[in-house]
Amino acid sequence: MPANPAIKQVSDVAWEIPQSYKPGMHVPARLYASKKLLDNMDSGVIEQVTNVACLPGIVRYAYAMADAHWGYGFPIGGVAAFDTEKGIISPGGVGFDVNCGMRLIRTNLRFADVKPKIKELVDLIFNLVPAGVGVKGSQNFPQSQMGDITALGVKWCAEHDLAWEDDPQHVEEGGFIKGADISKVSRQAISRGVSQFGTLGSGNHYLEIQVVDPDRYLDRDLAKEFGIVQDDQVMVMIHCGSRGFGHQVCSDYLRTFESGMKGFGIEVRDRDLACLPFSSKEGQDYYAAMVCAANFAFVNRQIIVNQVRQAFSRVFHREPEALDMHLIYDVCHNVAKVETHTYDGTKAKVLVHRKGATRSFGPGNPDVPAPYRKIGQPVIIGGSMETGSYLLVGTQKAMEATFGSTAHGSGRTMSRTAAKREVRGAELQRKMLDRGIYVKAATMDGLAEEAGMAYKDISEVVETMDRAGISKKVAALRPIGNIKG
Amino acid sequence: MPFRFLPDVALADIAFDAESDSVDGLFETCALAITDIMVDPKTLRMTTERKLSLRSENLDRLLYDFMTELIVMKDVDSLLFGRFKVRVRPEGPSLEAVAEGEQIARERHHLRNDVKAVTMHLFGVKHEGNTWRTTVVLDI
Repeated sequence: MPANPAIKQVSDVAWEIPQSYKPGMHVPARLYASKKLLDNMDSGVIEQVTNVACLPGIVRYAYAMADAHWGYGFPIGGVAAFDTEKGIISPGGVGFDVNCGMRLIRTNLRFADVKPKIKELVDLIFNLVPAGVGVKGSQNFPQSQMGDITALGVKWCAEHDLAWEDDPQHVEEGGFIKGADISKVSRQAISRGVSQFGTLGSGNHYLEIQVVDPDRYLDRDLAKEFGIVQDDQVMVMIHCGSRGFGHQVCSDYLRTFESGMKGFGIEVRDRDLACLPFSSKEGQDYYAAMVCAANFAFVNRQIIVNQVRQAFSRVFHREPEALDMHLIYDVCHNVAKVETHTYDGTKAKVLVHRKGATRSFGPGNPDVPAPYRKIGQPVIIGGSMETGSYLLVGTQKAMEATFGSTAHGSGRTMSRTAAKREVRGAELQRKMLDRGIYVKAATMDGLAEEAGMAYKDISEVVETMDRAGISKKVAALRPIGNIKG
Repeated sequence: MPFRFLPDVALADIAFDAESDSVDGLFETCALAITDIMVDPKTLRMTTERKLSLRSENLDRLLYDFMTELIVMKDVDSLLFGRFKVRVRPEGPSLEAVAEGEQIARERHHLRNDVKAVTMHLFGVKHEGNTWRTTVVLDI
């Protein structure tokens, strides 16, 4: 993107677009990016983040994080907080894949233990965790249980022997967001979701076997808090969401919201920004349905974790408990939540939309689960399948600057169609194997589309957020095995 | 081909332009584009038939609902379709459609991307002269 004179530099990694940029902006826009990331950011981000700044009831800033790229309505990597009484809720501000998120599981295995068995392990997980077009889930529940499952999330799993006792407290919100109401979810959404528990999906979703990478970054003291005690410790990262259930919830309510805006005198600059007052019946209905989808996603990731624990147990001939396969954390990065924040000298409840952004609450925050309260919320940032990922923690600065939010991943720089023109899936698979990454993909087309070159430099994104002080690095992780949906 | 993928529109997802000399043809073309994104249509057999009847408040919505219905059938019934016959009626507007295809067979089908939703971005049916056009951005 050519330099935009409207963008004013605030610090070496923060930029601001004033309210005067376009008519109707209620607040300025704030971008977090190094100069390099800003120069390469697609121009759609600027238009979209300033469109978000025009939405009724937005407070303080419309934000774009360092991984921001073009989305629908909101940019991916977008954050916006709204007054709960005067402000709106927007399905497009959450995204189609409600509670798309990341899970990180540790093991007590070291690289040398896993390296000789990586093919066996990845192949087994690929068989146990369905991925790709139209797959059915590994676990079926009767439709009559969908109300309980989507109300209680991982807590429901724990009550039905589908989670370890300490799993729920290692999931954002303790494994379920309050306020679900299945009666607000359409029959189509329930039908799509009921057969998809434990599926990875496709697109940019993946399951990765990783090794701690001290050459890139490791804060050994902080890492100990997460049970990371070896320099080459093996971890598992999962990236997926609420599957067809969440997508249908978003589709259904986009329809309702677009029709309903006229009645509230709301006009938006993009159809995907359709929104209604949070306090309206339709706003509350969407929130209740979105919470169902968010809790569905927690359960989906939990069932995948169960399959991963089984796979490790079968390959290494030890119980998962003996392999110390505890959940480090599970974060949402597509969600809207009612949170209490202090801004402009006032403590107030706001509805924070994070679309491709991660909560980054700092140390001492009561909403951070007990095991991490003294260090801050874990932040899991997934990179491309070639370049690795990071574990970070939230900070007090994030509470003050971004409503406790940070980036979520690398962010794409190249379209899927363009990536496929650049590289063939089979060639990429071979090259990755040469570099020590064994990949198993549902389709070769899908693999090519997720090539590392299609993404921003993950380290540049993470460094930017660390320098901005809104999340703090703990450990870099490098891939050794990958399952691509 | 009456649909064309747009490499520079949706970075994380897939967008296409479709056009036809009839509104029926436009709906059929959009359906074929969705199939083409999910599977190599040459690997599909036409062994199953599904009939659809839909009514919406306007033509945009009717096309949105029609495409969403195809995505739902992929998830719920594991069905992919390679042939479509659509009749759009101005009353309503509404449509009657017949979709032919088969259940997903991983060993035989060359599967591609999983389409999960139709977005509203750039979406809208346009009728210019003798041509019906639309742009569709799909969430992948």
